[in-house]
Order: sequence, then C-alpha cells, then structure tokens
Amino acid sequence: MTSPLHDDIFQLVREPIDRSALVRLVRAPEDGAIVTFDGFVRNQFHNRPTLYLDYEAYESMALAKMREIGVHLHEKFAIHRVAMVHRLGRLEIGETSVFIAVSAPHRAAAFDACRLAIDTLKRTVPIWKKEYFEDGAVWADGELPPAPAATPRAKLAS
Amino acid sequence: MPSVSQTIRVKVLFFGRLKEVVGRAEESLEFADAATIEQLFALFVTRIPELAKFRPSLVASRNQEFVAWNTPLHSGDEVAFLPPVSGG
Repeated sequence: MTSPLHDDIFQLVREPIDRSALVRLVRAPEDGAIVTFDGFVRNQFHNRPTLYLDYEAYESMALAKMREIGVHLHEKFAIHRVAMVHRLGRLEIGETSVFIAVSAPHRAAAFDACRLAIDTLKRTVPIWKKEYFEDGAVWADGELPPAPAATPRAKLAS
Repeated sequence: MPSVSQTIRVKVLFFGRLKEVVGRAEESLEFADAATIEQLFALFVTRIPELAKFRPSLVASRNQEFVAWNTPLHSGDEVAFLPPVSGG
C-alpha cells in the first residue's frame, strides 16, 4: 500500500499563531466542513489569577508525536487535512497556545478527529507549561504519557 | 564510573521541573554498554538524590520514542526522562 500524502501541517512556533491562515490551508473544494480547536491562556487557575504561561517542548519528539497523531486521524476518520500548531515560550492571557483545524467532506468526521487530536496531544506530546502567578510559579500538573511496560530482558536480547 | 569492558556514549535530556532539579538541559556521558535506562536514571540519582522522588511520575524515551524502563541503551542513543506532559 502506498502511503498517501495529506498536506498536513505540524508546527511548533514562537510567534502568535495565525489561525485564519491555517483554516485557509486545510480548506479545499472537495471539503464540506472544517472543525477547529483554539486553546488559549486562561486568566486564572483554581481562582488564582495567572500572570502568564511559559511553554517548552522536547521539540524533535513533539513534532514526531504530532505527526503520529495526524497519521492516526487519517486512518480512523474520513478527513481531508489536519493542521496542528503549538506555540512555545511566554504566552500572555488570551493568547492561543494550540490551534487545530481539521477539514473533511462531512462534519461528523471533522468533529471526531479534532476532538481526538487535542485529547491525544494533551496526553502524548512532550510539551510542558509553567504557570506564573503573583506569588510564584509552578509546573502545571500534567498527564503521564502511556509508555510500553517493561519487557523481560530475554525478549530484548537478540 | 567503574571501568567496564565496553562503554557507550549517550545523550540525556531533561525537561520541565526535572531540568530545574538537575540544573541543566542535557548531558552527554559514557555508560556501560547494554545497560538499561533504569540504570542510567539510577546513576543520576546517586548524583542528585532528590531525583528519586520523581521516578514514579516519569516516562522514559529513547530516540524520541516512549520506551520501557528496562530498555537497553546503545551508543549514540538520545534518552530523556519526561515529566507528565501539559501541553495544550
């Protein structure tokens, strides 16, 4: 089987994310729907006012994991294109940290794929955020990515 | 390190809170051939005992893939100990 090219977009950026440009890039005449997810910086965490966030990533691995998500989405849903962009560095309140756009001929696949894309990103892509408050800073509680269980050494030796 | 019959060179990366505890983002070091990622982490714990408490909340990666802790290391490997991820 040949592996189709999808013209998907996976990026880590340090400038503001141009959301409308990404929507334009995934849009094609054969599509009938685009679903987007816009994740942006909230002004508080558990009623504690947030000043700003600082994101960092294991960049090479994060991009690899984002591409894996894209491959999985195409296998699972009848979608056309995926754009997935995460911003790194210091982000102010209200600024977009992650933007995902999925185009498809029909809306159901676009909704399902976009939802799975952000959920999987939050669980498996090595990106971390530090939250800065008036009285200090903390690394956000995150999710532990699923990793392979330990394999008996005998199986690994070859 | 005690002398061993064969050593390999691996690169170790630290991120997030772990980077702050270790005080650096990466380190290149020589290690015993075919030693596991768990053993590599233990080496850092002997240097920085505070790291031990993070072990249950870390996953390991080798060459940008999540791997089991008993994965053997090979020369040129890039290893990272990853805290819970919080992108998005």
